[in-house]
Amino acid sequence: MKVLVAVKRVVDAYVKVRVKSDHSGVELANAKMAINPFCEIAVEEAIRLKEQGKAEEVIAVSIGTSASQEQIRTALALGADRGILVETDQEAQPLSVARILKAIVEKEGIDLVILGKQSIDTDNNQVGQMLGALTNMPQGTFACKAEPGDGTITVTREIDGGEQTVALKLPAIVTTDLRLNEPRYASLPNIMKAKKKPIDTVTPDALGVSMESRIRTLSVEPPPQRSAGIKVGSVDELIDKLKNEAKVI
Amino acid sequence: MNAISEQQSSHIIARLQERLGEDSVKTDADALTEYGKDWTTAYRPDPLAVVLPRNIEQVVNLVQLANKLNFPLVPSGGRTGLSGGAVASNREVVVAFDRMNRILEFDAVDRQVVCEPGVITEQLQQFAEQQGLFYPVDFASAGSSQIGGNVATNAGGIKVIRYGMTRQWVMGLKVVTGSGELLELNRGLVKNATGYDFRHLFIGSEGTLGLVVEVTLALTAVPRDPTVLLLAVNDMQSCMEVLKTFQGRLQLSAFEFFSEPALQHVVSHKGLQRPFETQSPFYALIEFENDSESRLDEAMELFEVCLEAGWVLDGTVSQSVGQAETLWRLREDISETISRFSPYKNDISVRVSKVPEFLSRVDELVSARYPDFEIIWFGHIGDGNVHLNILKPEDLDLKTFQEQCGKVSREVFQLVKNYAGSVSAEHGVGLLKKAFLEASRDPLEIAYMKAVKKVFDPNGILNPGKVFDIQ
Repeated sequence: MKVLVAVKRVVDAYVKVRVKSDHSGVELANAKMAINPFCEIAVEEAIRLKEQGKAEEVIAVSIGTSASQEQIRTALALGADRGILVETDQEAQPLSVARILKAIVEKEGIDLVILGKQSIDTDNNQVGQMLGALTNMPQGTFACKAEPGDGTITVTREIDGGEQTVALKLPAIVTTDLRLNEPRYASLPNIMKAKKKPIDTVTPDALGVSMESRIRTLSVEPPPQRSAGIKVGSVDELIDKLKNEAKVI
Repeated sequence: MNAISEQQSSHIIARLQERLGEDSVKTDADALTEYGKDWTTAYRPDPLAVVLPRNIEQVVNLVQLANKLNFPLVPSGGRTGLSGGAVASNREVVVAFDRMNRILEFDAVDRQVVCEPGVITEQLQQFAEQQGLFYPVDFASAGSSQIGGNVATNAGGIKVIRYGMTRQWVMGLKVVTGSGELLELNRGLVKNATGYDFRHLFIGSEGTLGLVVEVTLALTAVPRDPTVLLLAVNDMQSCMEVLKTFQGRLQLSAFEFFSEPALQHVVSHKGLQRPFETQSPFYALIEFENDSESRLDEAMELFEVCLEAGWVLDGTVSQSVGQAETLWRLREDISETISRFSPYKNDISVRVSKVPEFLSRVDELVSARYPDFEIIWFGHIGDGNVHLNILKPEDLDLKTFQEQCGKVSREVFQLVKNYAGSVSAEHGVGLLKKAFLEASRDPLEIAYMKAVKKVFDPNGILNPGKVFDIQ
């Protein structure tokens, strides 16, 4: 089985982002960047399949500027075999990403695509589903468990109020939810070895995909500031305020 | 100072209320218990009253009254101390600075902030962050400890190797001496070569010379992308080689260590992931600022050097801020994790180069006397500061355990003396280490300390019985 995982370079989840003064987006200059946490879970799942002898090769792909090589290197250090950088300066919007992934799936003869359910920067949750539509591959989204069988994969999905288990025929798409696994740390000896693993660079053009923008961001606003709390002197005052000011009781 | 009679007590309380206002004096049982102790559990709190001044004038007034009526004062901050420095168990009047908790001034050019002593460390850290700056003194109790207490104890913590102790950040101090005089020291100057710098006498004096009533602190630039390496090291000697190798080429902001049993306790108790499968006797946690691409490459090269030399067996590096925080938890959660074993704790230091030898001598000593005791080592090894923890075996009762540890203490402190170390690296002397002060300080030096005490606090009003006794 040949597995493809996508890794997106996003602002580190722990960084407090600030909205740019012109409201065109968030300030990313000098911000700490990292692998999208859901993509990290996808990488971990792929490597576990390889360690169990169920996958022969794990390919990590990232779409973005040359800086995204850093995230591919991390995936290689974690255990992926080789990387593909689809180099572009343009914003990677969901449909373009899905088309690029489709091109790679076809070119490489991929049996299983594991993707994060969404990236924490744009929170779209679209690529996995779009790729399913474009390729006609079955999809198991929001996975909290994935068990490959003979030419199939059984995926347990997180759904409202419970779980749903689906069996997919390979080739298939799995998108990861938080509970699927706990990603490992990249070990330093493996980071060193990863430097020797190959990364191919291609352009969207070469894959026959246009990066044409279909979504325009009109404005980005920070959440409204919360007003400061107050101290009350007595229980009576508290009840009075809850009743007459906050009007919650 | 003799114990205070009932009649004197009510007289003192009445005068306090008169001078400072009734709402500034507390005598209810809850307040007395709460303000009469710190995080040290060995002492029974028994203060006479708790006074909460609002400004410097009230503090001056209070100390003058204490001199006039001859009652002792115990200064009190966040009371997170571990040596009983803020304990009032002898009918003292506690002076708590909770109400003097304002940040008074900030100057972006000076990069200095002036604050009252009751400002909580974390509050100052957040204030600095809002100004795009950084207050680097940080430790586990930063959410409760107060700046005044930090100054009085010269608080250290986890970033000392890079940023030093509290002392390094104090640019100016206002103190009310034991004789009730307000002294203004250094006034925020970077350079000031005009005689004795008394500021440094008051820093770390544990409230025995004066009450800190205003502090001017320096702030610094926010570190960029602090990145954490965790290495499995073969033995303590290798750990020192690793320290030397990394310090030679990288500016480190932390170099901590812990032992395999410490890691096992944290991993199982906190449900954390082991950083790697490899097991080794010790682990080193190294933090550095990853402020350019070449910096990480450099760290990788240094790791290779250490690997080839056989000092380290394995390692990992944080790939995100989240991972850096989880790796830090492996070190920072140790104390909390082992607290359920009622551990005997000690905070000792020797010169950095002497750490491996000292550590193995203590190990030998404890396991020879008490082979059933489990020893947990961790600490700020880059500063030569190690925390010795001995866990209570389940079947041993607490009293017997503490008695046996008391015997160990004496021998450990003798070892500290032999290695020219300190019986208290960063927790202070207070009451807990008073009997062992001579293991770290020469009798002549202690005599000079007492003479200095006499100069600033002639009537012995301030924190009597702490650090040393004056007969």
